[in-house]
Order: sequence, then C-alpha cells, then structure tokens
Amino acid sequence: MIFAVLIPLLIACFIPFISKIKHKIHTGYFVFFVPFLIFLYFIQFIGEGFNPIRQTVNWIPSLGINFDFYLDGLSLLFVLLISGIGALVVLYSIFYLDNQERLGHFYVYLLMFMTAMLGVVLSDNIFVLYTFWELTSISSFLLIGYWHFKERSRYGALKSMIITIFGGLSMFGGFILLSVITGTTSIQEMITQTDVILASDYLPLILGFILLGAFTKSAQFPFHIWLPDAMEAPTPVSAYLHSATMVKAGIFLVARFSPIFSTYEWFFIIVSLVGIITLCWGSYMAVRQTDLKAILAFSTISQLGMIMAMLGFGTQAAVFAAVFHILNHATFKGSLFMVAGIIDHETGTRDIRKLGGLLTLMPMTATLALFGTFSMAGVPLPFLNGFYSKELFFGSTLGLEANALSQAIPYLAVLGSIFTFVYSMYFFFGVFTGPKQFKLLPKKPHEAPIGMLISPIVLVIGVVVIGLFPSLVNAPFLLHAAEAVNSAVEFEQISFWHGFKTPLFMSLAVVGIGTLLVLTRKKWNSVYTVLPGKLSFNKVYDKLLEKIDTYSANITNYYMNGSLKTYMSLILGTTLVVTFSFMLLTDGFTMKFDNLADITILELSVVLIMIIAAIATVFMNHNVAAILVLGVVGFGVAILFVIYRAPDIALTQLVVETISVALFLLCFYHLPKLKKSTDSARTKLVNATIAVGFGALMTVIGISAHSSNWFDSISEYFLETSYTLGGGDNVVNVILVDMRGLDTLFEIAVLGIAALAIIGLIKHKKKKGAE
Amino acid sequence: MEIIISVLAGILFATAIYNILQKQLLRIVIGTALLSHGAHLFIFTMGKLKTGQPPVLTEGVTDYTDPLPQALILTSIVISFGVTSLLLVLAYRTTKENNTDNMEQLRGGENE
Amino acid sequence: MSNLAVLPIIIPLISAIILIFFNSKVTISRGLTKLFSLISLGVAGYIFWYVLENGTIILETGGWAAPYGIILVVDSLAAILVLTTNIIAVACAFYAPHTGLQKRENFYFYPLFLFLITGVSGAFITGDLFNLFVFFEVLLMASYGLIVLGGDKVQLRESLKYLLINLFSSMLFVTAIAFLYAVVGTVNMAHIAERVQEVEQQGILTAIGILLFFVFATKAALFPLYYWLPKSYVVPNPVVSALFGALLTKVGIYSILRVFSLIFVYNIELTHELFIWIAGLSMIFGVIGALSTNNIKLIIAYNIIPAIGFIILGIGVLNQDALSGSIYYLVHDMIIKSALFLLVGVVAYVAGTSDLRKMGGLIHYYPFLGWMLFVAAFVLAGIPPFSGFIGKLLLLKGAFADGEVVIVIIGLLTSLLILYSIMKIFINGFWGDKDTMGEFKKKSTKGLYTPIVFLLALSVILGVGAEYFYPIVDSVAAYLLDPDIYIDSVLKE
Repeated sequence: MIFAVLIPLLIACFIPFISKIKHKIHTGYFVFFVPFLIFLYFIQFIGEGFNPIRQTVNWIPSLGINFDFYLDGLSLLFVLLISGIGALVVLYSIFYLDNQERLGHFYVYLLMFMTAMLGVVLSDNIFVLYTFWELTSISSFLLIGYWHFKERSRYGALKSMIITIFGGLSMFGGFILLSVITGTTSIQEMITQTDVILASDYLPLILGFILLGAFTKSAQFPFHIWLPDAMEAPTPVSAYLHSATMVKAGIFLVARFSPIFSTYEWFFIIVSLVGIITLCWGSYMAVRQTDLKAILAFSTISQLGMIMAMLGFGTQAAVFAAVFHILNHATFKGSLFMVAGIIDHETGTRDIRKLGGLLTLMPMTATLALFGTFSMAGVPLPFLNGFYSKELFFGSTLGLEANALSQAIPYLAVLGSIFTFVYSMYFFFGVFTGPKQFKLLPKKPHEAPIGMLISPIVLVIGVVVIGLFPSLVNAPFLLHAAEAVNSAVEFEQISFWHGFKTPLFMSLAVVGIGTLLVLTRKKWNSVYTVLPGKLSFNKVYDKLLEKIDTYSANITNYYMNGSLKTYMSLILGTTLVVTFSFMLLTDGFTMKFDNLADITILELSVVLIMIIAAIATVFMNHNVAAILVLGVVGFGVAILFVIYRAPDIALTQLVVETISVALFLLCFYHLPKLKKSTDSARTKLVNATIAVGFGALMTVIGISAHSSNWFDSISEYFLETSYTLGGGDNVVNVILVDMRGLDTLFEIAVLGIAALAIIGLIKHKKKKGAE
Repeated sequence: MEIIISVLAGILFATAIYNILQKQLLRIVIGTALLSHGAHLFIFTMGKLKTGQPPVLTEGVTDYTDPLPQALILTSIVISFGVTSLLLVLAYRTTKENNTDNMEQLRGGENE
Repeated sequence: MSNLAVLPIIIPLISAIILIFFNSKVTISRGLTKLFSLISLGVAGYIFWYVLENGTIILETGGWAAPYGIILVVDSLAAILVLTTNIIAVACAFYAPHTGLQKRENFYFYPLFLFLITGVSGAFITGDLFNLFVFFEVLLMASYGLIVLGGDKVQLRESLKYLLINLFSSMLFVTAIAFLYAVVGTVNMAHIAERVQEVEQQGILTAIGILLFFVFATKAALFPLYYWLPKSYVVPNPVVSALFGALLTKVGIYSILRVFSLIFVYNIELTHELFIWIAGLSMIFGVIGALSTNNIKLIIAYNIIPAIGFIILGIGVLNQDALSGSIYYLVHDMIIKSALFLLVGVVAYVAGTSDLRKMGGLIHYYPFLGWMLFVAAFVLAGIPPFSGFIGKLLLLKGAFADGEVVIVIIGLLTSLLILYSIMKIFINGFWGDKDTMGEFKKKSTKGLYTPIVFLLALSVILGVGAEYFYPIVDSVAAYLLDPDIYIDSVLKE
C-alpha cells in the first residue's frame, strides 16, 4: 500500500529525463500507467466482505510520526476516485496538451499531487496526513501557475496557496492540540478516546482549527474564492484537482473526524450551516458566470457545500447520501470539465455568450454534456446517478432534530438546487443550442478527436451505470465508506421510486421552478449581475492582501526610519521601562551602608570635577574644548584607580587615555566643527529623560548589587594562589596572563582585528582615490 | 563612597546617552567614550573600594583590594580602545563619503 | 581528551593569523580558507561525536580549577552549535570566491571571516561569563571589519549605526557582568548558577538577569531591539550577510538560552512570561517587516526576526518539548538562513538588482535557482517534511501543553506570512514572461550553487531524517532543563 502511494512520486523523479529523451512520444503515455495500475490494485478490495487494512512503516517514531496507512471504506472510495479519475485525466491531457508545452513539469506536478492525495486519504497519522495535505496545496499551486506568464495564473496560484495553506496551518494547530490531549497521533486511536476529546476545554478550538482546514480546502463559503481563480490551470487539472479530488480533501477530513465530533452540537451547527450556505451561494453565483469553467467552478463549490452539509447532519441517511454523492459528483463533474475543455480546445473560447448552436457540429460532445448536466441538475430520470443522491439529500434534510436551523434547511436545500438546475440547463442549452454565431469564435469549431472523448465517455458511462444499477456500488463499496463515517449506517436499497413522499415533491419543485427561471432568464439577468455587487469576498481578499502590503510598509517605515536616534531611543526606552518594572516587581532595590569605603575630600573633589566635566561635554560647542573635558573625565577615572589602589589599570587607563585623546584630536581635526544643538525643547526633554532615567537605573542596580554581596568573591583564591601556583606577586598580572589568559589572548586578537579593519578602511580609500 | 561612585558612573551613563542621542556624529563619539568610562567605573566599584593594599603580594600584608575586577577592567579598557579607534576611522570615512556628519541625514532609503 | 575543547577556537584563530600573511595572494587565500574550514569542520564533527559518546568535555584553561580559571565547556548544546557553525563556514568559504568580489577579497576578507568563526565558536564553548563578553567582542570586531568591506557610502553609513548600537550593548554587557559579580562574587557560569540557586534568585538578581537579557536580545535582534539589523545585514556582500544572518543573531539567542536555562530560572513566572510576549511581538513585527519591502535581501533579513521569535518562545515556555523545539529550530534556522542569504545573493547578482519590482521571468534563465528558492521558502515556513517543521511542531506542542494558545495562533499565522513573503520573490521574480526584464544577458553562476545545494540538502535531511537528530536534541533539552548537571560537571561536585 505504501508503495502504491509513493510510486507516483518516484516516477515523477524520472519524468524530466523521459520527457527529454522521448520527444516524439507524448510523456502522458508513460504517466498514464501509474494511476491506472494503482486503480487496478485497489479495485480488488471492493466487495461486501471488505475489512480495513493497516500498514505501518516507521519514519520518526520518537515523535510518533509514522506512515500509518489505514485503508477503510472511506479511504477506498477516495483512493479509487484519485487513481481512476487520475488515469482518465492523464489520458485526456495527452490530447489536450500539446507536445510543445513543458510536459515534463506538468506531469511531475501531477504525479506529485497523486502521491500527496493518496497520502492524505490513506494516512492514519495526523502529522503524515498534514504533510501530504500541504503537498497537495503545493502541487495545486504549481499546477494553477503552470502558465505562469499569465498574470491571472500567478494571481490564482498565489490565492489558492495562501488560502489553502492558511487552512492547512490551522488544521495543523488542531492536530497538535489533539495529540497533546490524547497522547497519540493516530486518528483511529483518537476515535477510541472520543470522550477524552469531548471533555477537553480546548474542544471548540480544536473543532474550529480543523474545520478551518477543511473549509478552506473544500472551498466552503467564504473561503470559496480561490476556486474560481484556480480555473486558470489547464483544464485536465481543473477536472482532477479542483473538482474530483483535492477539493474533496476537506470533505474527507470532516468525514474522517465525524466519529469524534458528531455528537458535539456545534459540529452539526457549523458544518451544516456552512455547507448549506455554500450550496446556495455557489449555485447562485454559478448562474451569473459567463465562462464555462467558472460556471463549473461555482457549481463545484455548491456541490461541495451540499456534501459538507450532509456530513454536518450526520444522520445515517445523510452520511450515506454524502458518500454516494462524492462518487456521483466525481463522475458527472469530471465529464463536464472535460467537455468544457473540449469546447475550449475546439472553439478557442469558453465564453458562453459567444458560444451557441454547437449541437450539430459536436454531437458526441453534446451528448456527453447532456448526461453530465442533467445528472448534475438532478433531473428525475432513472439512468442519471445525480438524481439518486439528490433525492437522498432531500430526504436527509427532513427529520433532523428540531431547532431553528433544521427547520430552514429543507427550504434552503430546495433553493440551492433550483439554481443548480438553472445553471445546468444554461450550460447545456447555452452552448449547444441557440443562435449559431461561429464568426465570433477564434477557431472553426469541429468535433473533438476520439482520444479526447474517451475519458468523458468513460465517466458518462459511469453516470449511467450507477444510475441504472446502484446496487453495484452500494453494498460492496458505498456502505463500507459510510460505515467508516458513521458506524450506525445500515444497508438500505437505493431505488428510483420512493413513492409520493416529500423528497419527490422537492425534486419536482426544483424542476418546475427551475424550468420557469430558465425560460424567463432574460428578465433575471439584471438581478444576477447586481447581486452580490460589492459584497464579493474576492474584494475582501484583494483588499486584505493589498492592505497587508501597505500597512506593513507603513508600520515598518514608521519606526525603521534609519535614524540612529530613533533606534537608540526605542532600545533604551524599552530596556529602561522593562528592567525598572522588573526591579519593582521583584523588590530588587536594597541599600546597605555598612562595609563602604570612607568618603574623603580628595575623592569627593575628583568625583565632583568629573561630574562637571561629564555634564560639560553636553554643552561644549567647541571641538578642542570638548576633547579637553572628555580628557578630564578620562584622567579622572585614572586618578580614581590610583586612589583605590589599582596601579595596573591606572597605568593602562593613562596610556590609553593619552592615545585616545591624540586620536580624537586627529579625528576631530578632520570632522566638521561642533554646532549648537538645534533640537526642539521637547526633543531635548525626551532625550534628557531617557538619559537621566537610564543613568539612574544603572546607579540603582549598581547600588543594590553592591549592597547584596551574599557571597565571598573568588578573588580570595587568586590572592592565595597567585604566588604559589601562578608564580607572580602582582595578582592582577597573574590573573591576566595565567588564570584568565584566554581573555587576554583574545583581547589581543580583538586589537588585531581592529587593526585589520582599519587598514581595510584606509586602503579602500586609497584605492578609490586611485580609480 | 561606593554609592557616590555609583552615582558618578550613573551620571557618566546619562551624559553618554544624552550625547549618543544627538545628531552630530562627533557628539555621539564623545558619548561612547563616556560610556566606557562609566562602565569601567561600575566594574571597579563592584569590587571593594579601598579595603586594602594594591593586589601586589607583599610580605606581612593580608588585606588587598579585589584583583579580579581590575583584571576585567584591563581587558575591557583594551577592547574599548580597539573599538573606539575603529569607530573614529569609520566616523571619519563615513563623514567624508557622505558629506555630512549629521546622523539624521544618514538614514537612507529602501532600495540601495 | 579535554584539550579537544579548545580546537574549534584555536584552529580558525591560527588559520586567520596565517591568512593575514597571504592577504595579497587571493588564490592561495581562497584555497587555504577552504582547507582550514574543512579541517575545522572535521574537528567539529569529531567533537560532536565525542561529546555524544563520552559526555561533556571540560577544559580548565591553564590548569586552573573551576571556578577560578576560565573553563571551556563543550556540552551537547555547544557541540551541536559549533558543528552547525562550521558547516555554514564551509559553505561560505566555498561560495565566497565566486561572488565576483575579488576587489574586496584582498582587504583581509578571509582572515576576518575566520576570526568571526573563532568568536562564534568561542561564544558557544566558553563557560565563563566575562570570557563570553570577550568572544562577543572578537566576533563583533570581525563583523565590523566585514561589514565595511567595500566601503560604499551606504555600507559605511549602516556600519556606523551597527557599530554604535553594538558598542552600547557591549558596554551594558560588561556592566551587567560587574553587577552580577558584586552579588555572587564570581564570573564562572556554573558557579554563578550554583550561587543564584542558593539564594533562589532573590533581590536584585532578577533585574540584573533582565539587563543581561536585553544585552543578548539586542544582539539576537528580538523585538523591540532589532532596529539595527535589517539594513545593516543587507549592505554587505551575500557571504557576509549569510554569516551574519546565520551566526551573529544566533549567538545572542544562544546566550539567552544558556543564561536563562542555567542561571536565572527561579522566577520563571516573570522572566519567561516576558519572553513569550516578546516572542509573539517579534514574530508579528518581524514578518510585517518582511512584507513591507520589495528588496529581496531585506525580505530575508527581516525574516530573521520571527525565527528568533520562535526560538525564544521555546525558552519562554521552558518545557521538554518546547526547548527541544527551540534547539531544533535554532539549528534549522542557522542553516536555512545562510542558504537563503546566499540564494538571494545569487538572485540579486544575476538580476542585477535587488528590487523585486524590476524582476520577472528569471525561471526561464535560471530554473535551478528558482526551484531552490521554492524549496527554501517551504523549509523556512516550516512546511513538512523539511527541517522547520520538526522544530515548529515541537515548539507549538510545548506551547499548547503550557496553555499558551494565543502565541500558537500567532505562530501559525506568522508561518503563513513568512511563506508569503518568500513566495513573493518566487512569483514575481521567477514566474512571468521570458522577456519581462527586456534584453537579458545571462551571467555565469559557476560555483555558486554547490554551497546552497549543500545547505538545502542538509535542511531536507534534518527534516526527513529527524529520527536521527531528534533524540539527540531531546536529550539536550532534558539536560538543559536540569541546571544541576551542568553545574556539577563543571564544578566537579
């Protein structure tokens, strides 16, 4: 099983070579066998006696991250969709994409996606699932951006990535919480700990995190906005990722976690509500589109909403209907996308306003579209699978636990389905009937090559076969899938005729009102174009992104203004305030007067002179005078060292001070003269406050530190051993060269490096002068 | 006395910072020099001031000043000296290249 | 074998000194630098292995017993970081000769480079707080030397700011050491830790700790002290940016990690809570900075800040998972940041500009470069299975276990925006029409890719092969959580 998941990725590594060597043969032929063989492998599991299979390969066991693959009914359904539709899409793409395209890239991305998607549906380990989940987002990004020279492609790719990875990260957050609470990384084990999860305080957070992941991926309202823009991808990709598989990952996630959350009230409310809103919004928006693929995109959104809503209901009937519809949707929507691709390919446009009357020219395509659209609309005919699942959907909206939401659901369901009916009819009749205006088309339309038709034909056969013989898939296949979501699901026959019950009336209402709306479409056109107007969530996204850019630039430029003064003030201010508050909070201030040196006149006068000199530096407006007062401070320090019996540093200080003064003089000579400060009084006050505050802080900490000497200094040891072990009388020197010799070594290194840097600076100047 | 020296060092810090917050490069350089004096005084004070003889072992003397801070200051003085010299050269070169010694005019734009 | 401890410091030091004499001979300098950095890497690798096998190496320099002399302590944390440092050094040594900056190379570029490595390794290894200051100065001084190389107007200007701010924080550092010495009477870190533990970090100690924190935070470029970083990291050449981005800030964060897991851990409700706040703010403001600009080098430079935010988050939370996350993230970030700086260095070089608005369609000319950037973006954002993911997973797990929900949400959002900020480079710079940039003359990128591939491959291995690395990091975290192990091993009690 793990091999089946990884094989597309492995093959992907060889694709660049294949596509380089075999120029004449379309790379797609090599790729086709990959999903096809996977499909054949997994199809053997279908059967009434199917039992879940588990397979584990260790990856990072110490973090609990392993390839725990778990094949149950639900994953089997998805695996077959991924590989089956995958094979058909690859086949289709052979005729859709020209050999001149960068096919190598295309198939590498596609195979990468296949692995990712198989991984998502088969992983029982949350973190591995997350890994594959992000990989689907990444490959989707690359496929949408496949024609990256188009502005719209880049826009769509970025949008899909931001939204789906946002969701992915949120889901990741939820997963981490789950693993922290349950102590396991296996979904199946979490299901056995449902009570622990439901009792956790974090439950709303977990649910929110995970649902965000699911909703963004499955393009649920209001995160659906990325899907229409994803239609910039080549049509095979749209058929595959953005209708049949990837967008169903969110559905899968909700289904997977249903056993845990289904008894939680908010799960029902949020998922059903979001699903049903998405259903209505998507189908309504689909009606107003003019691009064939955009119609299909919004249609996908609304159908996904419908499935999501059913998972939200969580009843046996609803879960079964959801699973059934996942399958059906993949068949009819897949075929319709391929039809849209054919039309685009053969006429050069997807604009429904330019199309019309293609029925006679493209009879095969038209037939395929007929089945697809009518099945999607849920027209009550016994050979259309869409009708069955829609009927089951209507059935499941009834008889939910009574509350305000469940009262409204059936009506909303009908409303959404009416629009579904409208755009389905619009799609078919708009393209294939009506006025023939072939002059508007960029290409002369004709029927597609047979190769291109194979895949949609296979899918439409699926539509019809499932419609005629639902029991073929019911017990051996769908039942297992539904059981994995809700273990209470029991076998029930799917039949065309249920008798005169509410779902039938709902269907009839849909068809009736829908037909009416289709016939009077022209009158409604204005309504469709006006609503939702400014309410578009696209605009919210665009604005958000734009605002992120501008605001971040504004904020950053505000404080990152390149001014040293601003930087220093902020650094100093923060350090001052925080350190001071910590001192107050920890009661840090102490002051003791014992054990202090005496105060003598000599010392006091030195200190006073230094203070005056230091303050004078601020007010001196003359270069030499400034150096002089600075020198006074420096030599004052040296005198203090002398007074307090530190001959070595006093000497050093004197030498260094002398050289420094010389250096200063040299430098000051070349630098412009000191000017009187032109700062405003306010600036001066702020500066002074910071300066005095910081000085005070240092003093206070210094005094407190000095007053809390709770320990003997290690210096005693130095005094004791300086001669006996260090062989020198001058303890400071012994410390420097022996005990702390390393300091001295690197202090010299610092001087050396400074010298190198200075030479570098000066040499540069010379070189520049020479140039 | 330690308290007084601490206050002195604090004042050195304050004046240093006030100078660093000025626009003119020269003042900033002066500020850094004051800063290192302040820091060294602090280190010095944190040992014991004048409780004995200089830490040069002499027979019969048992009471010495604390040698460790002195050693640390020595290291620090030398390092500061290195940094200051580099700073001076850099300040000089910057002023010459950019034709200004006003830090506020040395802000720069975004894409350089 | 304890003399091993000094090798990571001494080898680059001696190499640097040797190279000073070959300054004018660029070819020899290049060759020797490569050779020395490889030797150093080999030694670092051996030390890493040795420490894992035999435990902490302790070297009492000059034979002076702890806590009196300077002690070098190569524990597992130091060994990992020294190894990572040397890996980056090797990558940079092999990248540098190809940057087309020959003019700058003979201004002591290679000696300064090796001095920088000396300082960084020394800072990781030393067990003495004042000695840490000295090594800080070594690496800072080398960094001053490197940042001004070239001597452009802009460079000089930004170098000056960089130098001034660091000079201030260095002075604050010595002063804080002095304060600490006044209270506990020692500068040996283990000894300080022992004594702080004895008095349970009462009185003024916490304030001194916070002062030290701000010193390190300035170097580490944490909110709100990172102002000096972005622009000064952008002006030098890519190798220098990579070295700075990968090493300098990391030394700061390492110091915080060391000091606040070993010494100041007795007032966690206050100090470490502050870190969590700072972590969140660093993430937010850092990534906002990254989004604010179209200068590709600046984008990467700003991205240093949220990464540091992630690392300090783990220190703030201070539990097993979070701390291992921090360490994992630290190593990951060192590698990927250097890779990214080198990458955008190439991008800016081939595009002839670092302004994203003037780029486009580069993938037609440099597909490999584009894909490397693409992968690097995901590595940086912590998308699995790359190295950032493991660190992030551990960090967020630790934070959740600690009940820090808000910070986790900030962390997740930050990851998204980090990805966006780098993806902008890919989408706007690489995607697009072939002739977006008009007449395009392809430049040679010979020798520039290998070091980047090397670093990226390491990032991937760190992620995919986490099973080999995580247990090590996990044991390091456990070790850090118990300061007594360090104290006892140094003071031999």
